[in-house]
Amino acid sequence: MSKIVSLEEAIGMISDGDLVALGGNVLHRAPMAAVRELVRQKKKNLKLVKTAGAMDVDMLCLAGSVASVDAGFISYETQYGLAQHYRKGVQSGTIKGNEHACYTVICALRAAQMGVPFMPVKGLSTGDLLQVNDYFQVIQDPFGSGAITIVKALVPDVAILHVSEVDEKGNARINGPIFEDVLLSRAAKKVIITAETIVPVMKNTFNPQGVHIPDFLVSAIVPLRGGARPTSCEGYYDIDHADITAFRKVKEKIELDAYIASYDKKDHFINKGW
Amino acid sequence: MSEKKNQYTNGRNAENRISDIMTCTLARLIEDQETVFHGVSSHMPMIAMMLAKAVHAPNMIHLNIPGGINPKPPKISTYSSAGEELLKGASAFLPLAEVFDLSMRGRLDVAFLSGIQFDLQGNINASVIGNYYKPKVRMPGGAGSAVLIPTVKKAIIWRTKHDKRTFVPKVDFVTTRGNVYKIVTPLCVFAYKNGMLVLDSIHPTSNLEEVKENTGFELYYDEIRYTPLPTKEELATLKKIDPMDQRSQEFTL
Repeated sequence: MSKIVSLEEAIGMISDGDLVALGGNVLHRAPMAAVRELVRQKKKNLKLVKTAGAMDVDMLCLAGSVASVDAGFISYETQYGLAQHYRKGVQSGTIKGNEHACYTVICALRAAQMGVPFMPVKGLSTGDLLQVNDYFQVIQDPFGSGAITIVKALVPDVAILHVSEVDEKGNARINGPIFEDVLLSRAAKKVIITAETIVPVMKNTFNPQGVHIPDFLVSAIVPLRGGARPTSCEGYYDIDHADITAFRKVKEKIELDAYIASYDKKDHFINKGW
Repeated sequence: MSEKKNQYTNGRNAENRISDIMTCTLARLIEDQETVFHGVSSHMPMIAMMLAKAVHAPNMIHLNIPGGINPKPPKISTYSSAGEELLKGASAFLPLAEVFDLSMRGRLDVAFLSGIQFDLQGNINASVIGNYYKPKVRMPGGAGSAVLIPTVKKAIIWRTKHDKRTFVPKVDFVTTRGNVYKIVTPLCVFAYKNGMLVLDSIHPTSNLEEVKENTGFELYYDEIRYTPLPTKEELATLKKIDPMDQRSQEFTL
C-alpha cells in the first residue's frame, strides 16, 4: 500500500494529546504546512518538542492546540522578536513551558532512540532548572564518579519533518542543515514526511549513504512543494518576510483562521504529475 | 565627568560606535587555534568570530548550529545566525548535537551566550521573570547556556542592554551560574573572579559614574582600566565582512 497520502490524511493520523516533535530549527525548514493542518483539524492538548522553535510553536499556541512545550529556546531570532503567543500561553498558565537546555532535549531524544528510560547529561549540574522540572534528576553514578544529572526520555508519538527529497517508498534526503531531524526520525514512534520533491527509488540506490531517513521508519509521505513556507528551505526558497510579518500582526484566533485560509489551496494541492 | 549622554552612541556616523567597540572586544577575547561556538540570535558574536579569524586568529575553529566548520558565507543573513549559509564553503561538518558533546568532553574553548538578568554572584537568568510555573514574563529560554556555561573553557556573555533591570541585585531565576569568563555590555566588560563579577574595563565612550548608575549591584575593581578602541584595521575589516552592519541589529530594533 502506498504511503503517499494527502496532508489531511497524514495529519489525521495524529491524536489529541500526542507528543509531537517538529523538525527544522527556528525559521528554517519548519514543517509549516503540517502545522497549519494541525490548526485546521483543531487538534488539542498537543505536547510539543523541539530544540529551538519559533513560528511553528507560536502558531499552535495561538490556535489553542498546545498543552506543553519541551524546548531549549522558543523565539524568533533578533529581527522578528519574541514568540508572543507562546509567551502569553505560558504566562496565563494554559501552556506548560518545560524549559530544557537544547542539549537536554537532544539527550532525551537520544534516550528514546536507544530505547532507554533516561540519559545522563553532563553540564546541567547547577541552577534552578534542576529544582523546578521533574524530568531532571540528580543521581549518584553507580560506578563511583559522583553526582550526575539524568534527563527523562522524550518519546514522540510522531515526528513531522519537511525534507528536500523523498522517494515513493519514503527514503528521505535533506539538503542543507539537518538540525535534529535525523535524531527525531529515530526517536519517534511514527514519522510523517512532507517533501519538496518526489524522486525515483532508483536515484537513492546510487547514493544510499546520502539518504537521511530510511523508508521503513516513515508512516506517511506528503508531496508538498512549499511545505516549509514561510520559513526557509535550503535549495528551494528563503523565508517569506511579508508573510511572517503578516502573521506577527495576528493577535486573535479568528484572525489566525483567516491567515491559515490563505494557505488552503497551496497546502491541499495534489500534484498528479508526481 | 558626569555629562549625561544618550546611553549608547550608535549612530551610523558616530566616531566610536558602541556596536563596533563591543564586536571588537568580543573578537579580541578569541585566541588563535580555539574552538569557538555561537548559536541563534547571535549576529554580533558571529561577526566578532569572523573578525577574529580575519585579523588575529586565522586558525580559530568556527562552530555553529547548522554544523559547517569554518564556513565562508557568501552573505550574512539578516534574520538568522543558524541558517544554511553557515554550511557554505565549510571545510567539514559538526552539527549542534556534536558541538555540545565536544563541550561536555572538555574540548570546546569558547561559547558566546546571553541572558536577560545577571547578578554579582554570576547567576544568569534567561528563563522567566516571576514564578517559573506561571511567570510574569516567559523569556525565550537559555538555549545552550545551562549546559555550556558549566563545561566550556571560556563562556563569553554579550548583552546589548546595560541597566538596573539587567544587572540586578538578585536574578529572578538561576538558568545557570558561575564559570563566566567575561560579560561584554555597551558600557563595560565584567570578569568573573573568586565567585563574583568584577569590573574589568570601561569603554572609553562611557565612564565609571555611568556604569555605577546603571548597575544594580556594587562595583568591585582593583583599578580603572579602559577598553581599547577598535583599530583602523579592525574597523576596515568589519566593513568588509559585515557591510550591511548586521552587528548593530540589537541596537537598531
